[in-house]
Amino acid sequence: MNTAFQRLQREHRAEILTDWLQHLAAAVDRHSPHPPGLDAQRESLFDAVLTTLAERPNAHDFMLDPDSELGRYLNRLVTEQARQLASPSETVGSLLALKQRLARALLALDLSSDAVVESLLWLDRLFDALSLFAFKAFVDIRERLITEQSLSLLELSTPVLKLWHQVLLLPLVGVIDTLRARQVTERLLEAIAEHEARVTILDLTGVPVLDTSVAQHLMKTIDAARLLGTRIVMTGISPEGAQTLTKLGIRFADVVSRATLRAGIAEALLIVERRIAPLNSERQL
Amino acid sequence: MRIPILELERIVLVSIQVDLTDNDAMQFQSDLVERVAKIEALGVAIDITALDVVDSYMARVINDTANMVRLLGAEVVICGIQPFVALTLIEMGRGLLGADCAFNLAQALEILKRRIAKRGDTRFIEDEDV
Repeated sequence: MNTAFQRLQREHRAEILTDWLQHLAAAVDRHSPHPPGLDAQRESLFDAVLTTLAERPNAHDFMLDPDSELGRYLNRLVTEQARQLASPSETVGSLLALKQRLARALLALDLSSDAVVESLLWLDRLFDALSLFAFKAFVDIRERLITEQSLSLLELSTPVLKLWHQVLLLPLVGVIDTLRARQVTERLLEAIAEHEARVTILDLTGVPVLDTSVAQHLMKTIDAARLLGTRIVMTGISPEGAQTLTKLGIRFADVVSRATLRAGIAEALLIVERRIAPLNSERQL
Repeated sequence: MRIPILELERIVLVSIQVDLTDNDAMQFQSDLVERVAKIEALGVAIDITALDVVDSYMARVINDTANMVRLLGAEVVICGIQPFVALTLIEMGRGLLGADCAFNLAQALEILKRRIAKRGDTRFIEDEDV
């Protein structure tokens, strides 16, 4: 038991809490609205910190147990802040602001110097542990967020569209790296097999840079698709892209290539012996 | 000096009449490619009747241009290669000029039209937005 912190908890709890919350609110309000429930969360954390401080003596080997009450409150608060894209320094900074206030309150208690040193050391140790924990939790959450986002980006960016019976369209948008190329190939092959596509249009309009590695990936995709028995029509290569590819010495040998998606669709429909015609000419036929 | 690029409906005609400097050759290449993309050309005929000398660089430029144009979905025929030029090109290495060749412009157009017809490309016959 630590009597100094017990006294703080009994006599000065409300005062320190209000001071801390006001300080945090003043720091945050400038750029973002105050999320509801945040104060309540901070209050729970505050109480858990004080309780821990008061209940334990100066534990030299203090480790923060993530499953303890304190660990859970802190984790929840940090998660909340990380999701709202607060900066890590803001999160850890709010903890350090509390430490400062507790230390000041402790000094104002009029204790013996030994007790003050002992309590300050304990306070220091606890907040070191808290800060480390918070920082680690913060980074973990951010990393998870980033992984989730890049995954969903991958999902979003490679749709295989069924354009017509036995005609597929794969619009490629964005940078093509090894990971994406493999994923695109996999999905395309699955789709080709599923729809028994005779023609697949590979639209490169949205690919910003055509270089050797992109061309290599494309060639692999095309070769694999051909093995399944589909014909590939490449579209949307810009004049600049065509020049770059040729100057790099890349030959798309006998792949049918068309300047625009429109021309590519016409070509694809031709292969499956369809065509887009005006309504009245349809009637005449 | 810039090489004039002529359009004959969906076929692009270029005739190289003078020896090109390296810069001119590059300019010609990008001009032609831009034009082919802009009008969605179906065929390109490159006439080099007036060239007495085709060095390996020029051959390469012509070859590259043909490849670029193919990437943009047009057929390419080169015409009017002089016998002496043909001999030199073969001396320098086979396959230096990878594109198809024709004797004169008339034949080149003939080949282009036949190929375009074979492609069965009907998309421009009843084109609405041209």
